[in-house]
Amino acid sequence: MPSSSRCGRPSACRSRPRSRKAVPTVSLDAFLAEIESLRADAVAALGVVADEASLEQARIEFLGAKSGRLKSIQKMLGGLSVAERPAAGKHFNDAKQAITAALEAAQGRLAGTAAEADAIDVTLPGDPLRLGHLHPITQTIRRVQEIMSRLGFESVDGPEVEDQWHNFEALAIGAEHPARDPLDNFYLAVARGADPLLLRSQTSTVQIRVMEQRKPPLRIVSLGRVYRPDTADATHYPMFHQVEGLLVEQGTTMAHLKSVLRLFASSFLGGDVHVRFRPSFFPFTEPSVEVDMEWGGRWIEMGGAGMVDPAVLAAVGYDPDQVSGFAFGLGVERIAARRYGVADIRDFYRNDVRFLEQF
Amino acid sequence: MIISTNWLADYVQVQTTTEQLVERLLMSGLNHESTATVGADTAVEIEVTSNRSDCLGHIGVAREAAVLFARPLHVPDPRPLEGGGRVAESIAVEIRSADVCPFYTARVIRGVRVGPSPAWLVERLATVGVESVNNVVDITNYVMLECGQPLHAFDLAKIRGGRIVVRRAAEGEPFTAINHKTYTLTGQMCVIADAAGPVALAGVMGGAESEISAATTDIVIESAQFAPLAVRAAARGLVLASGSSYRFERTPDPAAVDWASRRAAALILDSAGGTLERGVAEAGTLACAPATIDLRATRVQEVLGIDIPSERQQAILTGLGFVAVKPLADGPSRWQAPTWRRDVWREIDLVEEIARIEGYDKVPEDRPITARPVELSPREQAIRTASAVLVAAGMCEALTRSVVSVAMEVTQSPWGAAPPLVVSPALVRGADRLRRTLLPSLLEARAGNVAVGAPHAELFEVARGYIGRDSDHRPDSPIQEPLLVSLVTGGAFTAAKVRAEAVLARLGVAATYRPIDLDLFARGRSAEILLERPGQPAERIGVVGEFSAAALKAAGLDTPVSGAELRLDRLEFAVGIEKKLRRPSDFPAVERDVNLVVDDAVAWGHVAAAVSETAGDLLEQCRLVQVWKDADRLGVGKKSLVISLRLRSATGTLSSEDANRTVAAVVEACGRQVGAVLRK
Repeated sequence: MPSSSRCGRPSACRSRPRSRKAVPTVSLDAFLAEIESLRADAVAALGVVADEASLEQARIEFLGAKSGRLKSIQKMLGGLSVAERPAAGKHFNDAKQAITAALEAAQGRLAGTAAEADAIDVTLPGDPLRLGHLHPITQTIRRVQEIMSRLGFESVDGPEVEDQWHNFEALAIGAEHPARDPLDNFYLAVARGADPLLLRSQTSTVQIRVMEQRKPPLRIVSLGRVYRPDTADATHYPMFHQVEGLLVEQGTTMAHLKSVLRLFASSFLGGDVHVRFRPSFFPFTEPSVEVDMEWGGRWIEMGGAGMVDPAVLAAVGYDPDQVSGFAFGLGVERIAARRYGVADIRDFYRNDVRFLEQF
Repeated sequence: MIISTNWLADYVQVQTTTEQLVERLLMSGLNHESTATVGADTAVEIEVTSNRSDCLGHIGVAREAAVLFARPLHVPDPRPLEGGGRVAESIAVEIRSADVCPFYTARVIRGVRVGPSPAWLVERLATVGVESVNNVVDITNYVMLECGQPLHAFDLAKIRGGRIVVRRAAEGEPFTAINHKTYTLTGQMCVIADAAGPVALAGVMGGAESEISAATTDIVIESAQFAPLAVRAAARGLVLASGSSYRFERTPDPAAVDWASRRAAALILDSAGGTLERGVAEAGTLACAPATIDLRATRVQEVLGIDIPSERQQAILTGLGFVAVKPLADGPSRWQAPTWRRDVWREIDLVEEIARIEGYDKVPEDRPITARPVELSPREQAIRTASAVLVAAGMCEALTRSVVSVAMEVTQSPWGAAPPLVVSPALVRGADRLRRTLLPSLLEARAGNVAVGAPHAELFEVARGYIGRDSDHRPDSPIQEPLLVSLVTGGAFTAAKVRAEAVLARLGVAATYRPIDLDLFARGRSAEILLERPGQPAERIGVVGEFSAAALKAAGLDTPVSGAELRLDRLEFAVGIEKKLRRPSDFPAVERDVNLVVDDAVAWGHVAAAVSETAGDLLEQCRLVQVWKDADRLGVGKKSLVISLRLRSATGTLSSEDANRTVAAVVEACGRQVGAVLRK
């Protein structure tokens, strides 16, 4: 018995019974007619079966291993002349494949019907997972931190109860300055010796503390709560959050400040955002500017900035002729309010979960 | 500050549109608020920063515009004709509080006809929102709005004793201002007085008695210097701000003291007639010390990052009124600041002047930034870890006020016995205590949610507490600001505990729990969380408990709430602990359940410790499945603990015999250590 690979015969040859029996002679035409009629009957019958029982009945009739019609036809192959067998074998295999495909299609169809009966209502609710939420102020701060960290700025924090030196004097806010008015600050009833203490009115205090401890180069972002006695209204709250950046390195110019803020703005707002400087006045920077960023086709005021005042550099023991730096500050509530469409910043402090769950 | 564009044109012809003028002023430091048409004039409201008192008058703004548009500036030089007697014969001036008033001048005009102002004056004042009173008063206002120096006109006939004394008010001295309200003065305030009493509150407002009326014929024009802080204190103290106090708080141009007096005299002679007496009655010394400043040639470039030619730098400074004392040569150029720019006294200030006039739009925004490595601090990492765990547990982050009312600070703090620190003024009405724990604030926030029908408020917050020094601390010891993460939940004790434990577990910290008595929590239903580290005393890192009825009531809650508070500042260290893999065993586990009966008083922690200690490395998990009590079946005062043990060896398959031996040892140890009996 030659192997099929060597004789190159179609696979039907392989299923030929090993023992040769006497088979009546048939013509090729009769064989072909027979096989085509089987194919037509089988495909038609399998196409209309409606349940498992009739499917099984059809399977036995056409593909049954013992007395199925296909089996009977296969036996006819032996009655063909040797020359006719390859062509006949090919037709036989084609028909077998077609019937098998029709059977599988019928099986699939019936299985589908059964699954349909078992289908679920996909619009049904489950037992919802309750997810928590970070406060939108925290999310805004984190985003600023993340962008600034990519620009090499490290987040730092420091005490909220501050002394006169860190909150005022080192920031070039002299004793005569109106910003030190008791009515404009939250002074503590206790003092450290003769030094009155207060809740910090800006996070620049942290910048002073870091500069006192480290030498340039320095890139930091100070952030946290600050306190000023404003009457609470839609745009003011006596407690709010600031993020302030500081860079002190040799050869730093306002061009670096503008470039860093532009990178920040482009990242924060998306797209190629431009920044605009308008002259302003802050005691601890000189020159001082207001920073506008283009947002939705308009210039939006984002915060204040400037070159670190030489007096501030000197106050922390740096040489203003050797190093220079820039600083900028952003009001977190204002940015968050605009970003999330919050019209009244007092909403940030109501802690209503129906508000918090939206962010 | 409101600017009339018609008025501005008296000093500079900018030959441009109002929009362009406004835009250039905006970009050089005078923020634009609004523009409005008033009759044939335009009113432009600008915001003037506190350092720029020179721009609190039209001439100062005109000077800016002249420099920006390279147009000439015309400032009048008033030379009013003097005649009649000498002013010294009409009035004498004396300063008794030179710290508040360094310099005081008075001119006298006799025979004025007080009446309506001419139309041009009424119109200009109307543009800038000032109502016309009469020709004399209007001119004093006009000159102030022109040059920034406030003036006041008195009726000479009402100055009793022909003498003006600048002195501190007597404590409680009454004063009736021209708004016809009477104020009680303090000894800190400074008044202009005559022989009988105050006729003006120095730098703030004139008095009703000596005001210019239709019957007035002889007037005194006051032009003086007053100390900014004193004026500010008086105006704030009496809630009596005026255009005058606003300007004195920002220090007007010293040179304008005399200029304004002459200017007003000239305009009054024009509009109201009369004769200006010869000379000026004055006292004190004019405080005026304009700075001399060196400017290095390279400094502008070093600060701005752009090159501005030195000719351009000089043109800007000259246009702004700076005088070149020494031109740029081998050394720096030297400049004398104008009297109206007290804010410019250092080299960096000159750089800013040059920058803002040249325009910051010239500064490039594409300089490369060098890369630098950045790490989150351990504290920041600890905060993020704690927040992430609690968010994952379904909690919302709250932000509550750091300063609370006394009602919320009556309970003990877990973090120190010192009383709460007090701030002044109160943050909001009644809230003047720095909180020592966040828990009452979170309870209040939860109550707020219940009140609006959101009862599922599971809240947490990361913030500081503020702990004052104890009486035994040294007086210079710093105030402690523990970093806290706190949470409240509607569940029982264990609901708060598992949340706190999840935070600790994620930080890699194993803690122990010990009962604690804090009035914030219900008695017998709270614990302190302790951290035990080798070689260190146990440290309190947190508290957890069910809130006491009193605490719930104070917050306005009537359903049970539990909470926990952890000291993140004491947990930061854990962030630095490196994680090392403990390879999971490849061998199968053996599960064994044990039912132990113990006395009711036996704490689970002791049983768990005995199990863990005995089973050693084989113990993969020890889980408390059930606790039950039944006096009939277990006996009075007994409880049954059903414990599920999962045992597994790292080195081989654990045989049933080995597992049984270990369980037997566990039962034996529990019997010995906590009196447990195996229930069959």
